[in-house]
Amino acid sequence: MKNRNGIYPYLLTAPALLFIAIVSLYPTLYSLYLSMTRSKKGVTSFVWFDNFKTILQSSDFMESLRNTLIFSSFYVLLTVVIAFGLALILNRKLRLTGLYMTIIFLPWVLSEITTGVVWRWMFYQDSGILQNLLGPLFNNVAIITRPWGAMGIVIAATVWRSISFAMLLILAGLQTIPKEIHEAASIDGANGWNAFRLVTWPLVLPTTIVTIVFMTIQAVNGVGMILSITEGGPGRATEVLGLQMYRQAMQFYNFGYAAALSVVLLLLNVVLAAFYLRALQRENALAG
Amino acid sequence: MAKQNKFTDLFLHALLIAFCIIVIFPVIYSVLVSLHEPKTAFLSIIPRKWTLENYIRLFVYGQFPRYILNSVVNALGGAIVSAALATLAAYALARFEFRGKQAINAFILGMMMLPALTNIIPIFKLASDLKLLNTYVLMIMVFGAYGIPLSIWIMKGFFESVPRVLEEAAAIDGATPVQAFLYVVLPVTTPGLIANLLINFVYSWNNFFTPLILINKTSMKMATVGLFDFQHVLEGNQDELLAAACVVIMVPAVILFILLRDYFMRGMVEGAVKG
Repeated sequence: MKNRNGIYPYLLTAPALLFIAIVSLYPTLYSLYLSMTRSKKGVTSFVWFDNFKTILQSSDFMESLRNTLIFSSFYVLLTVVIAFGLALILNRKLRLTGLYMTIIFLPWVLSEITTGVVWRWMFYQDSGILQNLLGPLFNNVAIITRPWGAMGIVIAATVWRSISFAMLLILAGLQTIPKEIHEAASIDGANGWNAFRLVTWPLVLPTTIVTIVFMTIQAVNGVGMILSITEGGPGRATEVLGLQMYRQAMQFYNFGYAAALSVVLLLLNVVLAAFYLRALQRENALAG
Repeated sequence: MAKQNKFTDLFLHALLIAFCIIVIFPVIYSVLVSLHEPKTAFLSIIPRKWTLENYIRLFVYGQFPRYILNSVVNALGGAIVSAALATLAAYALARFEFRGKQAINAFILGMMMLPALTNIIPIFKLASDLKLLNTYVLMIMVFGAYGIPLSIWIMKGFFESVPRVLEEAAAIDGATPVQAFLYVVLPVTTPGLIANLLINFVYSWNNFFTPLILINKTSMKMATVGLFDFQHVLEGNQDELLAAACVVIMVPAVILFILLRDYFMRGMVEGAVKG
């Protein structure tokens, strides 16, 4: 490409690129460096992969990894399934669709902390409205104080918040399917279920995969909600990887260890991002 | 056939309404609680006696007004920085061909894939070393940087849809490239700018985790972090006040969203789908 435009393009893009580099690139590199250090009594020393060895042998890490997996799987599954159903319904363009969408989309413009506070409240021991409603199903035990209860609440709250966005993604995908295809299918005699199975589903699959991967990335990185509802508790029951990283850094000042955890998280994200990009490419190829 | 369709439609409407109720219930509930008299939060869902005193008390409670101010400054500042830098970069990427353009596109995309979560600790250390912790400058820069990639995609899309003839016509009329940009192109892409500012403002306003880590001085805290502190103190004995704080934080974002919904939706889909 010839540089007919002189330095203008570079001048225009430089500030943006600089900011991005400072906030994304540099910290990542610094993280890699930090992860190989340890600080004892103010003295920082280079310890190569010691932190990583500790991580792999740490039962706390395994527990948080397991929590992250449980949280993510249920979260993604529930979110995508419900969002998919919603998208199918809304795709029919019933009356008041605009109103429905405005309401359903509301949670996304709410902060993690406000929704966290409210959800925690609704399960408040003894007087929380959802605690009172669901308590009898569980022998009136305080749901949030039980590991499985806390995990369930946290999953429910995060799903509640994310459904709208997943629905929007899938709806966008559904709407790229031309009406003619559906008409052709019904002319050929395909009934509702078959039309869905053989026509809609294959065409919306790429979008669904994009949504799944995107939500997985959200799940792995979603700490704020969990922090505000259970702070990782009871005990460590809802301590996901991100939360453990936060704890190590801000409560125990183990920056080296925390950085090592963040590198693990980063690797996870890189893998997911690779899936995401491939899924995006497939989706865009289909849309032409 | 027509009857069957009507029945299905009715059923679907019912499903949607039920879902909407589930979605909106926590929000409405917190509003209701905030209107209860103190100590009556859990006695009944609908307040027996309605009162606004919680909101009045809120504004003399702790440093809540200061928290709100901080949130406004940081969110607005961040949004403006994002919009400004991204618009310039997007214009270059949309209009010019130059060596390294592909690399820059790839760079931006790649950086978007790095989650904020894994970067926040190093940013904390860096800010600490530069003595920038607990400052407006830091938060505005960080929020600004967070918003740039998405903003670039949004503005790029808009710029690409503006026909070049407009700029060529302006040039014929004697305008410099800068003038053409400012007075011809930019006005046409205003919807994109609005979407940009909105999404970034709301995102920064709602941001909880980043300010939690980067600000620990009480007077500089943002409303979201302040709420976290309140939760520890108020939960269980002054829930109405806590609810009022929640509502105050929720309201700006909700109002902006309801009024300008289309801008939001378009921007968000653009970001995730276009990648």
